Amino acid sequence: MIPDPLDGLQLPRVPIEPRRAFADALWRRIAGSEEDVAQSATVRYFVGDLDEAIAFYRDRLGFEEELHPSPTFAMLYRGDLRLLLSVPGEPHALADGTLPEPGGWNRISLRVSDLYATVAALRAEGVTFRREIAAGVAVDTALVADPSGNLVELFEPRAGYHERTTTEE
Amino acid sequence: MSTTSVRYIVDDVDAAIEFYRGRLGFELQMHPDPAFAMLTRGDLRLVLVSPVGPDHPGGGSRPMPDGTTQQPGGWNRIMLQVADLEGSIEELRPQGVRFRNEIVTGIGTKQILVQDPAGNVVELFEPIRSEARLNT
Repeated sequence: MIPDPLDGLQLPRVPIEPRRAFADALWRRIAGSEEDVAQSATVRYFVGDLDEAIAFYRDRLGFEEELHPSPTFAMLYRGDLRLLLSVPGEPHALADGTLPEPGGWNRISLRVSDLYATVAALRAEGVTFRREIAAGVAVDTALVADPSGNLVELFEPRAGYHERTTTEE
Repeated sequence: MSTTSVRYIVDDVDAAIEFYRGRLGFELQMHPDPAFAMLTRGDLRLVLVSPVGPDHPGGGSRPMPDGTTQQPGGWNRIMLQVADLEGSIEELRPQGVRFRNEIVTGIGTKQILVQDPAGNVVELFEPIRSEARLNT
């Protein structure tokens, strides 16, 4: 075997941890473009006060803060749900200058195991409810308002509740 | 199992089913009532409901105790990751799908806002940084 002349230099061998972003990009190149289409769920909510919103979703509803790289944007997770919180501003303006606003009726629905206890606990913490518990066909629901007025639905399944049991068909 | 559930208010559930299934790749799970449908796309469950009266058995879209009716619209939205944003737009436009804006390039994604028939917004995005990418 031919000796490697560099061995004579006795350079220390430093193990290098590949950067995560580099490793991900490399993996995608190897794995092919099918990796590009993800199936996880992402929702964007607009909020007036980002810090207040982060504290609300983290402390009251069990989200975890993943990124908070600027005063106008944060990324939170709760299980497989990724929630992006954005403060309305120029990047979100439409061509005619219209800015997005918090509010509206569309909402994420979070499953809880005991709706009555959850509502009681949140109310004791000063959380605002847009509507108290309502019985539906297969779920009981309650509507929480976040500090900006966005809605979050809490639900507890009742008899007859349906959920797809696998993602494979 | 769907782990994320989102409820959208629409004025016409059938038109909404057609849109989400025909244009955006959702699958219809159930449509047991004219005012209610459940769809899935991967791990996302989308519940479509139209406003109902206070005595309707469906609880999700009844009026509030003060009488306020629930309405479609607003700016909060689901976000669907696509591999090729321009390609997706080219496919959707000839089908008559309405866009609220043109492509916006942000810090982590290129994105565009699609409108459903009721005026709700769906954001399509293509990651341009690895942090913005959803992993399967």
